[in-house]
Amino acid sequence: MITDLTQLLINGFLAGAMLAVPAIGFTTIYAVLRFPNFAVASHMTIGAYAGFVANVWFHLPAAPSLLAAFLVAGLFGVVCDEVVLRRLRPASPLTLAIASVALTIVLENLVRFSFGNDLRGYDLPVLRDWRFAALRVGPQELENAVAAGIAMAALFLFLAFTRTGKMMRAVADNPTLAALKGINADTVARLASFVGMGLAGFGGMLLGLDTSIDPLTGFRVVLSVFAAAVVGGLGSIPGAVAGAFVVGIGEEFSLVVLDPSYRSAVGFVAILAVLSLRPRGLFGERAY
Amino acid sequence: MGLMCADAVVCGYGVADEILKGVALTVERRELVAVIGPNGAGKSTLLKAIAGLLRLKSGHISFDGECIDALSPRDRARRGIALVPQEGNIFPTMTVRENLEIGGFLEPRETPRRIESLFTRFPLLAEKRRTAARTLSGGQRQVLAMAMALMVQPRLLLLDEPSAGLAPQAAETLFDTIAAIHAEGTAIAMVEQNATAALAIADRGVVLVDGRTARTGPARELADDPEVRRLFLGG
Repeated sequence: MITDLTQLLINGFLAGAMLAVPAIGFTTIYAVLRFPNFAVASHMTIGAYAGFVANVWFHLPAAPSLLAAFLVAGLFGVVCDEVVLRRLRPASPLTLAIASVALTIVLENLVRFSFGNDLRGYDLPVLRDWRFAALRVGPQELENAVAAGIAMAALFLFLAFTRTGKMMRAVADNPTLAALKGINADTVARLASFVGMGLAGFGGMLLGLDTSIDPLTGFRVVLSVFAAAVVGGLGSIPGAVAGAFVVGIGEEFSLVVLDPSYRSAVGFVAILAVLSLRPRGLFGERAY
Repeated sequence: MGLMCADAVVCGYGVADEILKGVALTVERRELVAVIGPNGAGKSTLLKAIAGLLRLKSGHISFDGECIDALSPRDRARRGIALVPQEGNIFPTMTVRENLEIGGFLEPRETPRRIESLFTRFPLLAEKRRTAARTLSGGQRQVLAMAMALMVQPRLLLLDEPSAGLAPQAAETLFDTIAAIHAEGTAIAMVEQNATAALAIADRGVVLVDGRTARTGPARELADDPEVRRLFLGG
């Protein structure tokens, strides 16, 4: 029993690490633009397919393919924000959230028309699981967790130590004062869209590396991503990481008592619990 | 012509909303102007309009001879206008040093030198340089907000109720700091509820009532004026 629970904990930790990347992308966009951009779902899918093209069509290894996933999804994020969402910004956050759902459906179908509905896999060597006593860890899952850790560390360093990162944090903290200090809100909005959606694409490819990809790759996990951001505190980057581990581990542990098809209910329960008990989330609304 | 001239300014927060109903305000170079008046007179709105946070419905604002009506807050900041709002005047989750870095955003090459100079001037900020700004006291926040504005060496400093919510001693220290900044040659327009303290350090006073300029004159004259004393100075 203890071995089973430990195995679930390990699986949950690895799943949480992968969930954390799109969750911090989601929360980065929320922190700067102040609306929940559900188009992270389609950008996860776009990143997964961009990585697929780089890996399978151009025979690039996983690491540069992940970079391609980040860049392509990030560029899509900027273009979609400029073309679709920017003009709606004076409207309420709810309007923007609904528009982002519509956008994600359009983009998802764009992927469907381009690549079809079939499941696709990356060109990776098949490796045996590593065994430690009775515990198993997949080498690919571990590599994904390391890649997720590197992406999160890179984002942290970017926000903490670069002028551009501090500019983004200033706008997230106090947009009016940032404007008074001469920071261009449009530039920061584009940056937030690029970084946030790029991370979503990166996370989408990580999910694909673990299993396979299809046009619903992002849509299937967007609830868990949203739940992670809400649990941690919308707008809080460390909160999104903590929330991702809570949701990832919670989803794995739910398998003890629930059928796997009910796994996504954990996200709903997490959102409900946080909104009822601590609406600001684990780390508060604006913690960095 | 003054450094900043606001002429017949009409503006508000909504389409039908008119808080300012034809205000005129001039600030000369090196001058400290205290803007006083009852609550709801439009004092803070006037500063926001000068800083570019509100669009004018009519009237004009010029700075150093140039009409700045169409300029964004960023472009006005580039020309040397710095507003210290009454609330929300710091970046709470960033450290004191990071706040100063953002304060100097428009002049990044000068930033390290100016931060060190401000740390010398305000040792309290130096002590707290790695502390998140949200943990500072009210008085410390006001000093940080002022220091952020000084990072770009503004030509016109707009202060919105700098002493609001401060203990008397902290307010006194803050007015000393404002007087020192003014003595160095920075033009200042200060909105202040504490009219006695504001007029004591100002060159000139302007009284706003119901969105209009009701009185203007040398600060000492206004401070001695029986009507102004009765309405704003508690005696």
